Amino acid sequence: MINAIEIKNLNKNYQDFQLKDVSFKVPKGSIVGFIGENGAGKTTTIKAILNLVKRDGGTIEMLGMDTLKDEKKIKASVGVVMDGCNFHDNLKTGDISKMLGSIYKNWNQKLYQQYLKKFKLPENKIIKEFSRGMKMKLQIAVALSHEPELLILDEATSGLDPIVREEILDVFMEFIQDEEHSILISSHITSDLDKIADYIVFIHQGEILLDQEKENLLSKMGVLKCGEEDFRKLEGDEYIRYRKNQFSFEVLVNDKVAIRKKYPEAVVDGVTIEQIMLFYIRGGK
Amino acid sequence: MKGLILKDLLNLKSTFKMLGLMIFLFAVIYIPQGNGFIFGMIILMFAMMVVTTISYDDLAKWDAYALTMPVTRKEMVLSKYLVMAILNTLGAVLSLIVGIIGRMIMGQSFSTEILAIIGVLYLIAFSFGSMMVPLIYRFGTEKARIMMFLCALIPTGLILLFTQIKIPLPEATNPLIYLFLLLGFTVIMVSGSYLISLRVYSNKEF
Repeated sequence: MINAIEIKNLNKNYQDFQLKDVSFKVPKGSIVGFIGENGAGKTTTIKAILNLVKRDGGTIEMLGMDTLKDEKKIKASVGVVMDGCNFHDNLKTGDISKMLGSIYKNWNQKLYQQYLKKFKLPENKIIKEFSRGMKMKLQIAVALSHEPELLILDEATSGLDPIVREEILDVFMEFIQDEEHSILISSHITSDLDKIADYIVFIHQGEILLDQEKENLLSKMGVLKCGEEDFRKLEGDEYIRYRKNQFSFEVLVNDKVAIRKKYPEAVVDGVTIEQIMLFYIRGGK
Repeated sequence: MKGLILKDLLNLKSTFKMLGLMIFLFAVIYIPQGNGFIFGMIILMFAMMVVTTISYDDLAKWDAYALTMPVTRKEMVLSKYLVMAILNTLGAVLSLIVGIIGRMIMGQSFSTEILAIIGVLYLIAFSFGSMMVPLIYRFGTEKARIMMFLCALIPTGLILLFTQIKIPLPEATNPLIYLFLLLGFTVIMVSGSYLISLRVYSNKEF
């Protein structure tokens, strides 16, 4: 097994929205950042991966098994965190352990306690009294405590303050250290993905626009700032998207080194994932 | 499966406490009057609780999350019916205890009449739940509640109508026939309801 998740030609039709031939992979031992604006299809894709919605076409393999045939077996080795807390308000952390201890065969009570301690989650309070950050940390602790091989996180870091976010990102980094574990993380907080992702998959209006190694992406792409006259000189295959300001053009270029060589006096900056996203969605071709 | 049932019982922990208090109060008020009303109350309160567990689940968006675990949709549905059976049984047992204690306090001997009342109510509780669960799965808790009221109104209205126009209700010489009829009806209701729920739930998207 080389890929923790392998999606081929996933299709899902709603009245007003479609996933169109979504295909991408989550290679084993890596973190894949799944980005896109609200409503682009991130959550739908994740739900289709988990069989929470019925797909209209395509195949999905997880941990080397077909998700329709071996669903139960797969899910025993997958940890999922969704946007929000899914435990009932009146439960305490100990209750959760009792429940999940008999749902997951490999539930590790000790590990769970360790995470609770690490995240400073109180054992005597009911979940209703937890802050949003604490709830998210609890979900993540739970997702890790049955020793999964794969984590699927849907907006798990949104709505959290930067300190909690970093704490959680550290846990994710630790999780993939052994090269066996993998993470698929959807987020629109792209700075988190700048930090931890190995690959970036970018979905827009139900279609995959971009699927690349992050380092490759960030080291090659750049933003050229120039006037209209210089922009007109660019050839079609030298840039991906452009955005027009009041006085100048900002151009997302494929290969910043080549552009710098060709136009030595031009200003070409590096790019962040957020800028790439903005260029793709709001820029012109 | 065990985990799912445990989840519902843990969630109802605080409800159980409040219910205990209410039953005590009702018992103090109604036992001296010596009518069977209290048994109906207790069993109905427990029978309603399966609905409460489903609305708790909705509130927490639990089902979508639970299905990311090694739990099948069939187990999700089956666990709800088992929880219903546990709650109904709990209600019946509690009714019986209240009945026995009540009789003892009032200095009367225990009569089979109480046993019959509780037995019938116990079976009706299953039919009630069997009607409710698939409606909830299909339409959600809020709408299902309104529908339930309508479902209860129609037979009540019919019975009222019958007594108004003085059609004699059938009278059997042996009351045991009623019991077996009711038992058969309950079994059909529960199994039919389970199959419908399973079908609705299997096609559900989260």
